[in-house]
Amino acid sequence: MRRNARLVLRPIGVEMSVKPGTALADALVVHGVEFPCGGRGRCRGCRVRVVEGSLAESAADRERLSAEELAGGWRLACQARVEGDLVLELRQWSGLILADETSFPFEPSPGLGIAVDIGTTTVVAQLLDLTSGQVLGTRTALNPQARWGADVMSRISAALAPGGPAMLRDAIRTQIASMVNSLLKGAPHAGPLTSAALVGNSAMHHLFLGHDVTPLSRYPFEPEHPEAGWLNGGDLGWTARARDARVLFLPILGGFVGSDILAVILATRIHEATGPTGCTDLGTNGEIVFTAGREIVVASTAAGPAFEGARISCGMRAAPGAIDRVTQDGKTLTTHVIGGGTAQGVCGSGLVDAVAAGLDLGLIQPSGRLAKDPLPLRAAVGLRQADIRELQLAKGAIAAGIRILMDEVGLPPGTVCPFYLAGAFGNSLSVAGARRIGLLPFPEGSVKPAGNAALLGAKMVLGMKGLGAAALASLLPRIRHVPLERRPDFQELFAEAMTFPEGSPQ
Amino acid sequence: MADLSALKASVLNGKRVVAETLAREALAAGVDPVVVMKEALIPAMNEVGEKFTAGEYFVPEMLVAAKAMKAAMEVLRTKLVAGSFTPAGKVVIGTVRGDLHDIGKNLVKVMLEGAGFEVIDLGVDVAPEKFVEAAKQHSAQLVAMSALLTTTMLAMPDTVKALDAAGLRGKVKVMVGGAATTEAFAKEINADGYGADAAGAVSLARKLVGAPA
Repeated sequence: MRRNARLVLRPIGVEMSVKPGTALADALVVHGVEFPCGGRGRCRGCRVRVVEGSLAESAADRERLSAEELAGGWRLACQARVEGDLVLELRQWSGLILADETSFPFEPSPGLGIAVDIGTTTVVAQLLDLTSGQVLGTRTALNPQARWGADVMSRISAALAPGGPAMLRDAIRTQIASMVNSLLKGAPHAGPLTSAALVGNSAMHHLFLGHDVTPLSRYPFEPEHPEAGWLNGGDLGWTARARDARVLFLPILGGFVGSDILAVILATRIHEATGPTGCTDLGTNGEIVFTAGREIVVASTAAGPAFEGARISCGMRAAPGAIDRVTQDGKTLTTHVIGGGTAQGVCGSGLVDAVAAGLDLGLIQPSGRLAKDPLPLRAAVGLRQADIRELQLAKGAIAAGIRILMDEVGLPPGTVCPFYLAGAFGNSLSVAGARRIGLLPFPEGSVKPAGNAALLGAKMVLGMKGLGAAALASLLPRIRHVPLERRPDFQELFAEAMTFPEGSPQ
Repeated sequence: MADLSALKASVLNGKRVVAETLAREALAAGVDPVVVMKEALIPAMNEVGEKFTAGEYFVPEMLVAAKAMKAAMEVLRTKLVAGSFTPAGKVVIGTVRGDLHDIGKNLVKVMLEGAGFEVIDLGVDVAPEKFVEAAKQHSAQLVAMSALLTTTMLAMPDTVKALDAAGLRGKVKVMVGGAATTEAFAKEINADGYGADAAGAVSLARKLVGAPA
């Protein structure tokens, strides 16, 4: 038996021991490294430089990297396996903000900053050197509010009960204080923490700041306190080095459109777009953003949990054992299972692909009707009629939302424009599959995965003068929240969008 | 002779214009509008419900069938002599206070209408006292409430209590539905029944008013 390989990650100095043969992606993902194209070798977002040791060249490396880069030791992390001791430099962490394709103005300032994306399920925090914009460390944790329920509405329900708001607020504040502490311990000589930028959905915003969530719980779902929250580290029980930090929780945009979406707008630079541009963050709530160049419209649509593999008979999260991709060759379906091995279920991207392939092979009718129920995929995993129906509801809600928002800014259906996919599911989704089922009405080349755009947006705020106060003050009036359900044609468009396109779109 | 089976098929397939024309032809041929209802429209919507339950139909098919049914019904309405057609029952329907998601409620409404019920639609975000008032005013046998969210379904017991307090529970049965609700929840809040989907709501409504299935 071979001994474990030692893996050192620069510039943050993480050291770990991994079994030879381990996919490098599996080792990196637990440290917060992101794979913008879903780890399929289609972008350059996860590239690393081999400082010591070696990584074999893959076909995707030769396609995506120049000869100079290959010679200089650059590889795509998502395609590599660890075979021996390695020291790697992570492009994402060394120059995420200042360099890379997503460069933006970063105003250097003294000290350290922390960007936090508070998700309903997970919390991600990154420590930045504000003099350079370099990322010094990343921490991820589960949101401890999960004990009050997995979804946003159950958290709101819990906070409506007596004593609930304080318990939920303290749980998340304690978690973040410990992440701040841990990040600062990892950078012992780097000076004090001067600022922090937090983003999250509307419920996370209200619960963290201690606002009453009643307005978020019922019609008309209009928050009474959408404004930014300003605190300092001392208020939040942060460690001595962070006590004087100015802490900003970015403002929210509507009852179901949080500051994470404001951050996504910043990260995808929709606010600077001069022509039609759109974005969606797909989850249980699908948020959609559109602009024709001036006004920005945002909306949220209840897509349900199908994209996360919930309420699907063989559904599961995108984890080892999940079918995440399905293709067809004109006769049969071919499936890919995360981590190889036996298929245990199907995740959201696999579901979209499977239905796309089923439509192409005539196994599923455009109405969503299965020719034969169930439709076997691999091993004991298959799709049932009710699963297709769940997906139709989810994709109908998103597609109708896109259609309505485009209409709100005066863009006719069929307009071709850059369209970003933010969030974990968006990054793993196959654009061809999404187009085939009618989820996205845009040509493949115009759809771009945007990684964890909410976190990137929060980091951008750290690099803005006065934590972006002036910039946000001029941006917010340009953003209009559209309550989709109040549009008289919503029901019709929603029902229409539940049907699948007859053939592959052009 | 009017072709009632073709009319039934046009509703089932969601052909609105065809359904409207065939209903008009049936009346012109002297067919009693009550017969058109009972032999074409109601059986068509029954079959839509069955196909929905069987997974053969989904929301879009149900909605287009409902549109065709309503178009045909509009034609009949002018000729339906008052009192000649007795509805299966009167239902007051709405989404509860705080909830504005009404697609499910609208489906239940059209399916109930298709089953011969008279439906009084109070729309969305309906306060408990509004349900009470409408139930009284229309002498309804049923109050049907829908809630999509776990936070808004909490308004359901308030409505049940308001109906109790108004002394209506002897006359009015309460049925609940919507994504957030369950059979157990219906029992817990002392409602008379739970409908899992639009087709389920119709059989429940029939059971509650003692109408034949």
